[in-house]
Amino acid sequence: MAQYIEQLPYEIGRPARTWRSRAGVLGAFVAVGLVAYILELTEGMGTTGLRNIGPMGGATWGLYITFVIYFVGTSFAGISVAALVRLFNIKALEPITRTAELLTVVTLMLAAMAIAADLGNPVRGILNLLIYARPQSPFFGTFTLVISGYLFASSVYLYLEMRRDAAICAGTPSKYQKLYRWLAAGYSDTPAERRRHRKAGLWLAVAIAPLLVTAHSTLGFVFGLQVGRPGWHSALQAPAFVILAGVSGVGLLAVMAWLFRNSLHERRLGDDVFGWLRNILGALLLIYLYFWVVDLVTALYQGDRAELTVTRAVLVGPYAWIYWASAACLIIPMLIIIVQKAKRSTAVAPLVVAGAMVQFAAIGKRFLIVVPSQTYGTLLPYGAGSYIPSWSEFAIAVGLIALGALMIGAYARVFPIIPLEDPRGSED
Amino acid sequence: MSTKTLTWLLIVGGFALQAISYFFFGAPIGKPTGVQFSQPRVPFVGAFFILGVGMVFTAALVYEIRGGREDRGD
Amino acid sequence: MTRYAMAIDLDRCMGCRACMEACKVENGTPKGSFWMYVFRLEEGTYPSSKLSFLPRPCMHCDNAPCVKVCPVGARYKREDGLVATDWARCIGCRYCEVACPYGVNNFNWSDPAEADYLDWNEAELPGDGESVIPPWRNPDLDEDSRPENRPIAGGGHSAGVIEKCTFCVQRLEKGLQPACVTNCPVDAFAFGDLDDPDSEVSRKLADKPSFRLLEEAGTEPRVYYVGDKHPEAEVHQVEAVEAKV
Repeated sequence: MAQYIEQLPYEIGRPARTWRSRAGVLGAFVAVGLVAYILELTEGMGTTGLRNIGPMGGATWGLYITFVIYFVGTSFAGISVAALVRLFNIKALEPITRTAELLTVVTLMLAAMAIAADLGNPVRGILNLLIYARPQSPFFGTFTLVISGYLFASSVYLYLEMRRDAAICAGTPSKYQKLYRWLAAGYSDTPAERRRHRKAGLWLAVAIAPLLVTAHSTLGFVFGLQVGRPGWHSALQAPAFVILAGVSGVGLLAVMAWLFRNSLHERRLGDDVFGWLRNILGALLLIYLYFWVVDLVTALYQGDRAELTVTRAVLVGPYAWIYWASAACLIIPMLIIIVQKAKRSTAVAPLVVAGAMVQFAAIGKRFLIVVPSQTYGTLLPYGAGSYIPSWSEFAIAVGLIALGALMIGAYARVFPIIPLEDPRGSED
Repeated sequence: MSTKTLTWLLIVGGFALQAISYFFFGAPIGKPTGVQFSQPRVPFVGAFFILGVGMVFTAALVYEIRGGREDRGD
Repeated sequence: MTRYAMAIDLDRCMGCRACMEACKVENGTPKGSFWMYVFRLEEGTYPSSKLSFLPRPCMHCDNAPCVKVCPVGARYKREDGLVATDWARCIGCRYCEVACPYGVNNFNWSDPAEADYLDWNEAELPGDGESVIPPWRNPDLDEDSRPENRPIAGGGHSAGVIEKCTFCVQRLEKGLQPACVTNCPVDAFAFGDLDDPDSEVSRKLADKPSFRLLEEAGTEPRVYYVGDKHPEAEVHQVEAVEAKV
């Protein structure tokens, strides 16, 4: 083995009291979510605040679908950052690539679980989708490309990127040695092997990129192709989905990088990494705000009556607080980044605040896409509806987020979350 | 079979399986005028499509792991 | 091949909603679920308001968005024009419900047995025992429907699936007309085969000019309205109806 390390890095394998207490808290949230879901399975989906569109005056898609889109959206950034590093050779971002790839894999799993929570018949759902999936339905793409294909592809990418570090860690006696050896699958750090890995990684990144765009676009199509829901039928849906996905994903990465930097004291997660994340987040925010303005102007200039009803509900009606709070959570981060760039500041804390704020904007914006077009978007004169998520919907959503944090934290306790340094410098 | 051949077979086969599943196994696409637009022409179309996607990315695993073993001669 | 369609005479409809009741009894729909729905609309404000009524079954569209989006083909279009829901295949994703411009879909949010109007398992029914109508569930609803032999008839079968108006497919099989059509006290409905020039619906449509709801959505509905014009955008329901259960 080319490299020998005396003990496993990042406190892996050594007891950590702070992790245990944090895991305990996260586990409690997961448990509450699980209880809520079991309740939903046994009593039916009436435990949610969802109800039928039409005479019942409800919304049939709500918090769960909001989080499905949010999770899938966040997964976008993970693999994109990793692909960027590979395709454009951005060495400065290398320390964050594994965190990014792991984020993709974990959030896609959370999205799959959120979909399952939203199905009236989840087990039948999986079986029947495998047997009867119809290509004409936008859900075909969601099921096969987003949840299955993209998840598998990202897992393969993550795994192949792990082999070298697994081989290095396997060289040190530890309680995880057998696991590392199995993961390494015979990796030896020869030039030939490195070349093979670089080639495979490059082609994987190239293959995942179109899959990514297709997958996110089909998610946009779920909404954008429907004439029956005012506010949804728009060519902007698919591209806006992709961009907001990037915003929330990169923002979350900035937060995670900061968390890992503090807990692992890893100096390689330095100004370089945050500088790049700042630039990417800034650029994506700019593009998304452009989409937002275009959307708003189009809706206000000459919308048809049904679309204006939805727009009014969202801008000044019952959903206005979500709309303006989300706008603030995008504009303030944009301003933070602009000010930082103008002052050439490399301070990390403002970027992390920006990264956290855009998460709320992303969730809020997804909610605004899903719900108002149902409660205020009936083309027949049913009258306005209402939807307030029940405690069990919130419990499941929070439980899923806690599960994600738990999975990422547990991973970092067993495997180096920051790729180990190459003593030879850069790869050939 | 060399690793290179197997890799290419998986990639090409995977994409082919995806295309065939989508356009020939699945329900026909078009204005729904009858039951046929809601029935797959070959059952398990979803499974086949996902298998196709899986094959394409398994090629990467084959290329690296099996290829690495081939290089080492074991 | 039969081409089922319905024509509703708005000059005759008086908003009594007997059709909604008949549909519910015939199809066993759970609480809050109304496959047939009648809008009671008001234009303007009292004292210068104008009332109108608009029965709204499922449109059984020829270019149905619900059929297109169903991921598993549980919602399908039959040769005779009916848009049916195979409740054994339905996975409860509710995509058809969001895709329908008319809002005709009903999802079973809870076990229908618990969302019924009477507890059918109760030994002693409420009331004086003399005048209470005993619970009744239409036995035809549990049969698979021809010709595809799929379970599409009736409602209240299981939680977690979507249901909607079926033009009473179980009655059509017996040569009867849908329950709403038969039970209307003023004969506002005409139903039958559009390809048969002597059918009630063909004759009704030949007599008077007709319109269909939301034609600009491109759904090609099979329910025609005669005797009035398409509801104006300014109409609103007389009372806010939220049958939330």
